[in-house]
Amino acid sequence: MVVSPYCTIGPFFPASFVQGHDDLTHYRGGTARGQHIVLTGRVLQEGGDPTRNTILEIWQPDANGIFSSCEGADPGFAGWGRARTDAEGRYKIRTVLPGAYDDRCPHANLMVLAIGLTRRLVTTVFFADDPDAVHDPVLDCVKDPTARQRLFAKRENAGEYRFDLILRGEGETPFFLD
Amino acid sequence: MSRRYEPYDDRTQLARYIDRYPLSFKRTPLAPLVQRPLTLSEQTGPVPADLFALGPMDLSKTSPDAPRATGQLIQISGRVTDEDGSPLAGAAIEIWQANSAGKYIHDADQHNAPVDPNFTGEGRMMTDAEGNFQFFSIKPGAYPVLESGWWWRPPHIHFSIFGKSWMDRFVTQIFFPGEPLNETDLLLNAVSDREVRERLIFQFEGTSMGEVNAMGFRRDFVLRGRRQTPEVD
Repeated sequence: MVVSPYCTIGPFFPASFVQGHDDLTHYRGGTARGQHIVLTGRVLQEGGDPTRNTILEIWQPDANGIFSSCEGADPGFAGWGRARTDAEGRYKIRTVLPGAYDDRCPHANLMVLAIGLTRRLVTTVFFADDPDAVHDPVLDCVKDPTARQRLFAKRENAGEYRFDLILRGEGETPFFLD
Repeated sequence: MSRRYEPYDDRTQLARYIDRYPLSFKRTPLAPLVQRPLTLSEQTGPVPADLFALGPMDLSKTSPDAPRATGQLIQISGRVTDEDGSPLAGAAIEIWQANSAGKYIHDADQHNAPVDPNFTGEGRMMTDAEGNFQFFSIKPGAYPVLESGWWWRPPHIHFSIFGKSWMDRFVTQIFFPGEPLNETDLLLNAVSDREVRERLIFQFEGTSMGEVNAMGFRRDFVLRGRRQTPEVD
């Protein structure tokens, strides 16, 4: 059977569908194990202009590297979340520092949904103190060293990581074939 | 169960760049999308039943005893399957739409049409064991895209679906058959193939009369993904 066509999320995604989903660290009355962090940054379009009202979704393993749909996952951690950008294009997601597992380094999957995008854009943000020492089967697909660096979140203050998504133009974030 | 996901075939999808839709040229990445292997991380996803509380499946009332919203009552139904045609049971669906006057409940909507206090405008539901879903609503109105200076959106309903993984996560808009504005809509016409265009439009399913008086519309969805078939040497 032929897959259905994607279409843009548009500008009017209900606020109630976002509310509460930007905090993955508290789930069903529990509190997530591991280091709680804030992942924050801006979603920018060509020319560095902010994108307002962009919906960002996240899917990542818990602090032990286990996904919430798999056995042994932290019951206090949501695994999936969603945030909306403000007028400056800024988003903020409370989560945990993801754990490594198998051959995957600490990372979180991100999805961008916005007007102007008929389909979603997908990328992956990585967390490491020394990006050059990281080997990961998905990260290693990005061959250009400058582009590769752009997939790492920058640790700013204690517990705060910054990750900007530049959809197009100078400093463009690498996105994966979908 | 391991599943197989191929990249979306562009011929089944809307164009990424659309003339007279400036944001498509400001937000579509310039660099080619990077090919990557699919690991556990991409092939898993949230368990749909864990995502959110389900709401009432009637957008035309704020509570069962409340008065109905203004406009044409419609009953929408459909089925969610994968590319093998297997039903996706327990898929989570989010829907949202304008009211009968073409107004959304959203702080970004600047259109000077009235809000309908009896219309909820949004719903969250789950497919049954056969992948079926069904809800009541009011037929959405058309509305102008004010910043464009000319573009009016035809009536449509937004769908967001959580299937089995990060790979089949799906978002779209479905239009109504026979609407004159369908001919000029930038998004609906961003498809080159007639069959693809039809997959974006509800089928009229007739009317019901009696306790429920509604027009019926149907749209089935096929999400990306197939069963993994063992390789033959």
